[in-house]
Parts: sequence; structure tokens; C-alpha cells
Amino acid sequence: MPDDVIIEARNLTKVYRDFWGRQKVRALKALDLEVRRGEIFGLLGPNGSGKTTTIKLILGLLFPTSGQVLCFGRDATDVTKNERIGYLPEESYLYKFLSAEETLDFYGRLFKMSRRVRRQRTADLIDQVGLTRAKKRQLREYSKGMTRRIGLAQALINDPELILLDEPTTGLDPLGTRDMKQMILDLREQGKTVVMCSHRLDDVQDVCDRIAILYEGELKELGRVDSLLKVHDVTEIHVRKLNEKAQQEIRQIIDREHGELVSMGNPTTTLERLFLDIIAESELHPGRRVRGAKDA
Amino acid sequence: MVIETEQIPFHEWILWASLNWLLVVAALAVTGLFLSSLIAVVRHGPARGLELTFRVVGSSFADLFCMSPRRVWALTWLAIKDSLRRRVVIVFVLFLILLLFAGWFLDPGSDHPLRLYISFVLTSTSYLVLLLMLFLSAFSLPADLKSKTLHTVVTKPVRPSEIVLGRMLGFILLGTFLLVLMGAMSYVFVARGLAHTHEVIPSSLKVVQPGDDAAKGDVPLKGKSTSVNNHRHDVALDRKGRGRLEMTQDHFHRVIRRKQGDKTVYEVGQPEGMRIARVPVYGKLRFMDSQRQEKEAGTNVGDEWSYRSYIEGGSLAAGVWSFEGVTPEQFPERLQVEMTLGVFRTWKGDIEQGIAGVLLLRNPKTGLTVEAKIFPAREFSTDVHQIARKLTPETVYYLKREEDSDGLVKKVKYVREEITGHRKSQYDLFDDLTDDGRLEIWLQCLDPNQYLGVAQADMYLRARDASFALNFMKGYFGIWMQMVLVVGFGVMFSTFLSGSVAMIATVGMLIGGFFRAFMIKLAMGETYGGGPVESFIRLLTQDNVVSDLPAGLRTTVAQTTDAVLQKGLLVVAKLLPPLREFDCAGYVAYGFNISADWIAEQGLTTLSFAVALFVVGYFFLKTREVAK
Ligand SMILES: Nc1ncnc2c1ncn2[C@@H]1O[C@H](COP(=O)(O)OP(=O)(O)OP(=O)(O)O)[C@@H](O)[C@H]1O
Ligand SMILES: [Mg+2]
Repeated sequence: MPDDVIIEARNLTKVYRDFWGRQKVRALKALDLEVRRGEIFGLLGPNGSGKTTTIKLILGLLFPTSGQVLCFGRDATDVTKNERIGYLPEESYLYKFLSAEETLDFYGRLFKMSRRVRRQRTADLIDQVGLTRAKKRQLREYSKGMTRRIGLAQALINDPELILLDEPTTGLDPLGTRDMKQMILDLREQGKTVVMCSHRLDDVQDVCDRIAILYEGELKELGRVDSLLKVHDVTEIHVRKLNEKAQQEIRQIIDREHGELVSMGNPTTTLERLFLDIIAESELHPGRRVRGAKDA
Repeated sequence: MVIETEQIPFHEWILWASLNWLLVVAALAVTGLFLSSLIAVVRHGPARGLELTFRVVGSSFADLFCMSPRRVWALTWLAIKDSLRRRVVIVFVLFLILLLFAGWFLDPGSDHPLRLYISFVLTSTSYLVLLLMLFLSAFSLPADLKSKTLHTVVTKPVRPSEIVLGRMLGFILLGTFLLVLMGAMSYVFVARGLAHTHEVIPSSLKVVQPGDDAAKGDVPLKGKSTSVNNHRHDVALDRKGRGRLEMTQDHFHRVIRRKQGDKTVYEVGQPEGMRIARVPVYGKLRFMDSQRQEKEAGTNVGDEWSYRSYIEGGSLAAGVWSFEGVTPEQFPERLQVEMTLGVFRTWKGDIEQGIAGVLLLRNPKTGLTVEAKIFPAREFSTDVHQIARKLTPETVYYLKREEDSDGLVKKVKYVREEITGHRKSQYDLFDDLTDDGRLEIWLQCLDPNQYLGVAQADMYLRARDASFALNFMKGYFGIWMQMVLVVGFGVMFSTFLSGSVAMIATVGMLIGGFFRAFMIKLAMGETYGGGPVESFIRLLTQDNVVSDLPAGLRTTVAQTTDAVLQKGLLVVAKLLPPLREFDCAGYVAYGFNISADWIAEQGLTTLSFAVALFVVGYFFLKTREVAK
């Protein structure tokens, strides 16, 4: 496995069963996935499409029914890989009877970290997520957005190489959302790898390098955001300082080919469009989409 | 108090116990491995199932042996913090209230007030603490799983073993802290509850020797004290005005007469002799029949309680206790022998008189035997005999050796002799009758056709008393061990069961643990009437429990089924905690010192249970999906 592959899922399948072993839901069907060092990877899909399931499988919170997922080249059940991972769950599952400071201190103690570094990081992170004034209050008194922020701080306590964010922007105000997106971009600047899943397509479009779109546990689309959003049957040309003659020639060519000039160049669609198209299409033709750009 | 189970010395116990433990652990490991690989194979098919089992076993070594103290401590801290949030303090308040109102129903005027007080504090503490720990330990992990807070923890580099150990340690620390506090409060409560003094009634004081003049002072006096806590004492003063308010309700007071101006006052002290920790030194019992031949047991008189064996009266039959550690340090002033004997009369005789017995002291090396005491034995009472250090017996027995010309011993026989001039007429207990601290005490019954019943624990030597406060702490240590077991079972079950089910399972183990001894007895076929099926047949046919069932197919089938059932029962019983044996409230209440051997043995038993429960809990947590 090449060194820069951080997460590798092979034929990853998860079937939820009830107590008697009867099948309830096929939440994930034979997922193949690679996440590389330094990229921001987005997992997209409607509710119940298996995004959270994928993340839980990567973390070893669930065991795969078949297939395998490796993280830093290690099996998901190997806890030592967690030294390099930060995880922000769907909802922040934190001990409500602890204060923000105690929370970060507690999670910090689960890592190899000197007391001094732990104190320092705790103070920095509380400052970074803007909870300085509330750091002594118990989490039970926190609002949803505040809980989300302390959840994020908790995920970053060990300065992880890989950060898994399950819907990072839910519950945040516009300002918080902007900060969160900025922070994700900052993390990439620092050379970290981020895997996030979200319904907020604009978020994903703004920050992600590559995305995977899941629908009912099946991988529908996987690739770079810019190439996925390229509309291949439309050419868009924006030219400045092109002389009249050249323009004339181009128009002639278009005319000759029965084209209709709108503007020149590859226009991009919005992710929302793509997303809705894929879902509409999936309902007609199940299985991986044939069309679509391969990852660049 | 009759202590039926004898204390096995630690060095004898440890070998047997560790072997037993290893056996049980090995059996558990093999069964566990077999069952879990079976489940894995059924779930995932043979190849993957076996691979998974292999992987879990492989990684378990790292998980169990490479735990990080830092992380375990962080998780311990979390468990304590979580429990404190659950208002553990309430238990404390409850205990205080209980102590405040205890005065209403604890009668300090009862015959044995200390027993009452000690039993009360020990029982109430143990119920409160065990119940609290049961709830905390059984509900903690399931609550964490339900609120998914555990997800955030297990996605840190935390091993499942550290989570289980952290929980157990957290609750144990909390319980320890509670027990220490409650123990201290109880001690003060007992001390204060029993504190009282009396006054000497001056008009009751009478001279002891006729002819003395009370008015002149400096003569011995006798009288009565006032009644406090439902009792009064006899007062005895010597000529100097010092004396005691004699033993009543297990205690006495010291009293001093002082002159204050022209008034005479009697200063009476606090009760003494009540809070004690007797140190019984037990011996090994063997029997001699009337021919002076060694025997397994004494005579069976048909007593259905087979605890005691009987010594025939008017013969040479004897019960022989061999003691060790009989040294002047342990027995500084005298040798105090305490006995609780059974009496069996073949004829009525003089009921008031009691049956005459004789105690002989014998040096096991030289065979020198000295008559120490002739006494009337009464049933249902503890006879206390003081044997002075210097003995002037009327009879001695000694070993007569007939030797060859080259000094080899040819024959050894006992010779009984009246003391005559040329023999020593005084013997020293330690110099003449013990050999390196070893001493034999022979008990014979003097009344023909009457029997004295004895068991090993019936006779003990009472060494120098140990500290009562320390003994009290040991009593709390007994509760501590029970608490550790409750926490162990609670946490172990909660790794795979929901909170309430885990609690019920733990309670089940505790109840089972209480009946463990009985189950083992049943499994070993030591009960009358055979195993469950055989007993059931007897119940239906109304057969006598001691007669054999008629041979035949039915009996064979019944007994074979029983044998299988009994094996199963034995396995189950061995896995249960020996809870009864941890209960030492009785020792403290009745004033018996809890021996260091007992502490070591029960402590190790607890530890081995805790370790096993921890490992089992770890495997359950390791193999479950946290996010399910
Ligand atoms: N513990 C569970 N037991 C049974 N089924 C489950 C369980 N968790 C998830 N599922 C099912 O698995 C499927 C995928 O769920 P998952 O939580 O991965 O979706 P998701 O993509 O994260 O959705 P959302 O956007 O709503 O968070 C769903 O059909 C869900 O009902
Ligand atoms: Mg989800």
C-alpha cells in the first residue's frame, strides 16, 4: 500500500442484524475507497445512505460484515491507530457533568502527552473554538452549537493527522459554519487529512477536494469535486482581448457545426444539481453510475 | 460462639488454592475459547470465524499486559466523578440517619450489648455499601453505551481492558473511601453507645471478713452499684479502696475511693473488657481409644449433628490437641484454656454436678505428662481454665524408654506414678512441658459410662489479646472484599448486558455465592438422600433418606443422571464467590481476633476473583460492537 493512502476500504460491507442474527438493514454494500494524505474527502448522501456507518467502520466502532478497512495500514480494531485520529461524532457524545476544561483534560490524558502540553493544548483549543468564557461551565448547560464546538476541540486534542468529521456544521450559526470551514481548510494547510460527511452541499463544495456520493449504501460517484462538477457537453469560453477576426472565425466554426454559442468555456454546475441528478437517476438505474468523471 | 470451619494455615492453603484457581481458570479459558470460536464460525463461516478468534486472542495479550497506568487512572477518575454526580452522598446521609435513630432500637442494657452494636453497624454498612455499589457498577457502562459517550472514549487510543479496569478501580476506590468513613463513624458510634459509668451505693458496702470494722476504713468491702443501662454490678474494694465493679454484661469498671474534704467519693471508670479481640490458638485434634491406640475419631453416640466426636468416660480414651506457638511471649502470665464441650449421658447421674473431665499437659518430645485440672464439664457453656505457669501435680506420667546396651531405643511405654519425694514436685509449663512451643493437651472423661463430645475447634488456648480497633477494621475489610466482588461482577456483566439485567445477574451470583458451600456439598454427594433425581424419587416413594434405594434400572438411571448433574453443579459452584466466608461480623461482635491467615486467604481469593472477572469483562467488551 503506498505511503500516502491513509484510509483504504476494500469490499466493505455492513449488515445490521437483530439479536437473533436476522438481517435488518444492508447499510453498506461492497464499498471500495481510498483516502490520501493531505486531502479533504467528503462523504455525501441522503439520510440513511451509510455515511455514519462508514465512519464508524473506519474507527472500529462497528465490525464489518465482510471486507476490510485499513487506517494507516492497520486494522480498524487496532486501538493504537487512534493516536493519530480525531473524531467528531454526529452529535457530540460528551460527559455532561464535566466542564469544557475538564473534558479536554480528560481526553488529553488518554494520549501520550505531557501535563504541560495538555494544559497548553486545552487552553489553545478552548480559545480556538471560542468557548473561553464558558470553559468552567458544565456541558449540560451548553447550547447545541457550543456542544458542537467543544466536540470539535475534543477531536483535535491530540493534534491528529486524520480527522473524521460527521456532519461538522450542523447546529452551528453562519459565523460558526464559516469558522468551521476555515478551520478545515487550515487543517489541510497543515498537511492533515480530513474525512467529513455532510448534507450541506455548499459546505462540501467549498472545502472538499474529493467526494464520494453514497445512496442506500452504494457508492454512486467518486472523484475530484472540480471534475465531477464539470459539464462535459457544454464548452465555455471566457476570453479577453481576442481580436474581432478570431472571434469571427470561432463563430463560423460554431455555426458550421450547428452550435449555439452561449459563452465559451466549461461552466460548472452546482453540487446540489449533481446530487439531485444522481439521486433521481439512482431511483431509475440502481448500481454505480456509468457516466461521470473518473478521479483526476 | 462455635467456629465450625477451621482456619487452614496460609502456607498449607496457598498451594491447594492456587492449584484450584489455575484449574478453574484453565477450564474457563478452554470453554470460553471453544464457545467463542464456535459462535464466530457460525456467524462468519469457518475460515473467517477462526481467523477472527485468533486475532482477538492474539491482541488480548497486548491489551492485558500493556495497559497504560495513565489512561487507567484517567478512566478511574471518570468513574468516580460519574458516581459522585449520581449523589452517592445520599447513602452517607442515610447512614447518619440510621445511626441517629439506632438508639431507639439498640438496647445498651441487653446481655451482650457489644454484639448488638457491632452486628448493627457492620450489617447496616454492608447493606448500604453493597447496594450502592451494585447499582453503580451495573448501570455505569450500559448508561455510557446508551448515551454513546463511550464512542468518544473508545475512538481514543484506549484499550477495552483499560476501560473495564478503570471502572472497577473507580468503584472500588469510591467504596473504600465510603467504608473508611462509615467505619470511623461506626467506631465512634459503638464507643459512645456503650460508654457509661455507675455510682457505688455507699450504704450497700459491707465488710467481707467478720470482725472488721467498716467505719475504720482500710478493710476489704463488698457492695452494689447503681443501675445504669439495665444492669448493676457487684462492687469489691480492697483495703486501700481500689477495686472493681465486677463482670456484668461482658464488662467491668475500675473504681477508686478518694477523700474530698470530709466526703468520701468513689470514682468509677468507663466499661472495660467489653471491646476485646481474643486470640484463640487452635490445635490439631486426634483421638485415642481406651487401649491408647490412635483413632480417626472418637465414639459415635448417634448424634445427628456429626460435628462432635465422643470420648468414653472412665477409660483411657482421650482427645488430644497438639498446639504450636505456646511461648511465654504469647502467654505471659498463665495458660488460659477455653472449652465448649458436648456432653452425652448414658445415665442421668447428677445433672447439677456436670461430668468430670481431666486435662493433662504433655510434652510431645519427652512424653512427660502432668495432670493440670479436674473439672466438671457443662454443656452449652464455655469453660475457662487458668493453668498457672508452675504446676504442682499429684500425678505425672512419663515415657519410659528401655534401651539397648548400645543406646538404641527398644521399647517406649507410659508409666503413671504418684509424685514421690525423689521426683520433681514442681514443673514449669514452658521449660518442662513444651518443646519448641509445641504442647499437647489431653482430655479424658472421668465418669464411667458418660461421654464428652469434642471437635477440633472446641478447645483453644487464649493468647494475649489483640487490638479491638484493629479487629474492627478487619471486620470492615470483610465488607470491603464483598464490595470488590459486587463491583467485579457488576462491571463484568454490564459489559454485555443491559443495566437492569446486569444487576439481576449480579444479585444472582451473590445469592448463589451465599449457598456455595451447600451446593458444593450437594455436588460432592455429601448430603443425605443422594443427588437431585434420587432425592426426588425418595420424596415420591417416601423412602428413608439413609437407606439404599433398591437396585435396578430406575436406581441406576437416577444415580447416573445425578452424577452428571452433580458434576455440572460442582463447576457452577466453583465459579461462585465464597461470600459466606468473607462475613466476619461474628468474629468482631463475639470478640475473636481475625487472624492474619484469614485476611491473607480471603484477600487472595477476592483478588483472584477480581482478576478473573476483569479478564472476562475485557473479552466481552472487546468482542462487542460499541456502536451497535
Ligand atoms: N444501530 C443500527 N441498527 C440498525 N440499523 C442501523 C443502525 N444504524 C444505522 N442503521 C441503518 O443503516 C443505514 C445507514 O445509516 P447511517 O447512520 O450510516 O446513515 P447516514 O448516511 O449517516 O444518515 P444521516 O445523514 O441521517 O446521518 C440506515 O438505513 C439506518 O437505518
Ligand atoms: Mg449520519
